Amino acid sequence: MPTSLTKKGAWYNRSLFAVLLTFSLTFLSNAVFAQRQESLLSSSRLKKMSLEELMNTEVISVSMRPEKLAEVASAVQVITGEDIHRSGVTRLPGALRLVSNLQMEQANSHDWAITARGFNGLPSAGGVLANKLLVMIDGRSIYSPLFGGVYWDVQNTLLQDLDHIEVVSGPGGTLWGANAVNGVINIITKSARETQGWYLSGAAGSFLQDLGEVRYGTRVDSTLFVRIYGQRLDQRNTELAGGINAKDAWNMTQGGFRMDYYPSATNTFTLQGDLYSGVANKDSLLKHTVTNGQNVLARFTHLFSGSSDLKIQAYFDRTWRTTPHSATPFSYRINTYDIDIQHRFAAGKLHNIVYGIGYRLQEDEAAASLLPLSRNMPLYSGFVQDEITFVPNFLKLTIGSKFLHNIYSGFETQPGARITWTVDRRQTIWTAVSRAVRTPTRFDTDFIRRRLKFLSEKVIAYELGYRVRPLDRLSLSLASFYNRYHDIRSIDSNASPTVPLVLANSQRAESWGFELSGSFQALEWWRLRGGYTYFSKNIWPTSPKVLPASVDFEGVDPRHQCLLQSIMDLPRHLQLDLVARYADQLPGSTFTAHIPAYFTFDLRLAWQYKRFEISLVGQNLTKDQHKETGSSQIPRSIYGRVICQL
Amino acid sequence: MSVVRITAYRFLSISLLLAYSMTHLSAQSAASPEYEIKAVFLFNFSQFVQWPAHSFPAEQAPLVIGILGEDPFGSYLKETVLGEKVNGHPILVQHYNTVEEIKTCHILYINLPETRLDQVVESLKGHNTLTVSDAPYFLQHGGMIRFFTRNNKIQLKINLEPSKEANLVISSKLLRLAEIYSPVKNN
Repeated sequence: MPTSLTKKGAWYNRSLFAVLLTFSLTFLSNAVFAQRQESLLSSSRLKKMSLEELMNTEVISVSMRPEKLAEVASAVQVITGEDIHRSGVTRLPGALRLVSNLQMEQANSHDWAITARGFNGLPSAGGVLANKLLVMIDGRSIYSPLFGGVYWDVQNTLLQDLDHIEVVSGPGGTLWGANAVNGVINIITKSARETQGWYLSGAAGSFLQDLGEVRYGTRVDSTLFVRIYGQRLDQRNTELAGGINAKDAWNMTQGGFRMDYYPSATNTFTLQGDLYSGVANKDSLLKHTVTNGQNVLARFTHLFSGSSDLKIQAYFDRTWRTTPHSATPFSYRINTYDIDIQHRFAAGKLHNIVYGIGYRLQEDEAAASLLPLSRNMPLYSGFVQDEITFVPNFLKLTIGSKFLHNIYSGFETQPGARITWTVDRRQTIWTAVSRAVRTPTRFDTDFIRRRLKFLSEKVIAYELGYRVRPLDRLSLSLASFYNRYHDIRSIDSNASPTVPLVLANSQRAESWGFELSGSFQALEWWRLRGGYTYFSKNIWPTSPKVLPASVDFEGVDPRHQCLLQSIMDLPRHLQLDLVARYADQLPGSTFTAHIPAYFTFDLRLAWQYKRFEISLVGQNLTKDQHKETGSSQIPRSIYGRVICQL
Repeated sequence: MSVVRITAYRFLSISLLLAYSMTHLSAQSAASPEYEIKAVFLFNFSQFVQWPAHSFPAEQAPLVIGILGEDPFGSYLKETVLGEKVNGHPILVQHYNTVEEIKTCHILYINLPETRLDQVVESLKGHNTLTVSDAPYFLQHGGMIRFFTRNNKIQLKINLEPSKEANLVISSKLLRLAEIYSPVKNN
């Protein structure tokens, strides 16, 4: 590894790229002269594998995301499109609920608060303050630079066309960017090649009013595949305590396309885009919210060999939302332009190197509340990572660092190191130390004016994990962590009578816990998956000015959380599926009431015959209503659905 | 502003990257990991499929694994089957450029454009040949086993109808792990 990369100090934008360039060329020339790539495994070893093992061997495909490199030795959990389909969920946040290392609460009909490893800031606000998670759909970042959280109401996809969702808890799971302090969610859709033909689906029910989905995929010729889709969702109101209508009913209309072009076996070109428009709280005058957005993304991947590839990706994303009749009318528009390039290659037999550079420009405009109302927020980023094989198939060290430069806190560096010990072919032990930052948001810096600069929040995370497959049918993973945070956001009292409160960095925190997850093929026709997550934290002030409410503002989190999904194929083309979950109580806070622990489950019964599927899904069946955060009660509900694939 | 210079650096680095990359595009005879796995699958099929006795012209006749079209395996498939036997039959790897060259072939990996699959499958009728391909529409064309990738793992989809017609018995162990293709459900 180049030692000069660790030299701090002279790291300004210009030199960053100059140095990265120099290193890229050095490594590239190594790559050019490197010997022929090493075989994945010797043929004698592969031959000894059972069919099951062969099927579970990862191959490096063109579509592989760079994040995969850290996966095996990290707290990653993956759910497939099939798991999602069988759970009966109808929206993306519901699908995320199937991943047990995420902690989440449904705040009302359309908003969810989602985080990993705690710090779900003010969950009743619906996720926008859960600011320590990086979320990407097909490589497009969807967290908002306004608060650092995600507006989940406008994040929709055709779930049928999802390939998988991977959730890495902890900061080490990604190569790119900021905000991946507590984890990263990668939502990956299928290629157009895998989604051919018609897909028609209609659903209606008691809480889900209606959901209609259409997709058509076609093959232009043997190298070019295209799909287009459209969907419309209407969701009904929830109730507040005492049966009062919360008036949070909403709807969303969305459409999009994806094109995959394979000009040769080693080149792939993808072009995709979506546009949507929705109305939330449509029965409420004051909270009436209108949203819309558009995005388009292009990606080119070239495979040099099994151990070397190049990816270039660019996207544009625009989102807009307004609450026009509120007492404090608000509207916010943001445009994002992003380009990333990354290259992966093997240098000799022992080094597997990935590096990348990226540029993102976000420019936004608010109608009120923020000063300045409009900002240009360029972000320069880069990373380099070397995976060093000490003993082949036994001991690996991965070291690397992310670098970024943003307009609020300037240059930031996020190094990490990870050791993977493959005990045998069924067991892996890994440990990691990483540093990550949450860069300041518009809200942190421009909502309340103050003289002092708002700093990045920092974490040092220590992780230890173990993965084991005691049987071919059973796999288990345990990931434990201890995190130390400093410069956490605080709400401080201020001497000035005109500005009585300011946002500062006067809190510290520590958190610890573990995530246990597993999947079990109990019988040929019966599969189980699930997990348990334990979490605990302490937040303390570093200044007497910090208001006690600061703690709740940064995180209200359950200590225990459990998930079980059961997937059964019954005779006569029937499917019977269950998702059960338990969440511990949320302590009462300055901003939200105490929420008792709850247990609930969803049941799905489906009849699938040839091209048709008819299903009946009951959700949150234990109680008439239960509260997860805030004041909205999530009702027991039922819906029916018909799917036809032609 | 320095932004201009950063942009200049970025584009310089991109173009240099591309230039270097292209020179690195030399032909490699090694198979990619994906095809190493697929090669071992092809070998495994010889263990999990039963051919009628008359498909072997003699007792010691080899079990033939053929590749029709471009060979993606390099020397890997040959290394894999080297010294292996199935019920006393040694395994032989053959390469064909056209379907007319095929005489005795037990497992045929087809690497041809989709437009030619119909004709290939048609002309193999009456042979006891297990047909295998990566082509997305292979099973619709009457092929028997298709490789596909899910979550970066190689999976199998099997079309039972044509394999029965070819008098091949696919072991339940293989069937259990594979997805079964039903002609009406189009994927």
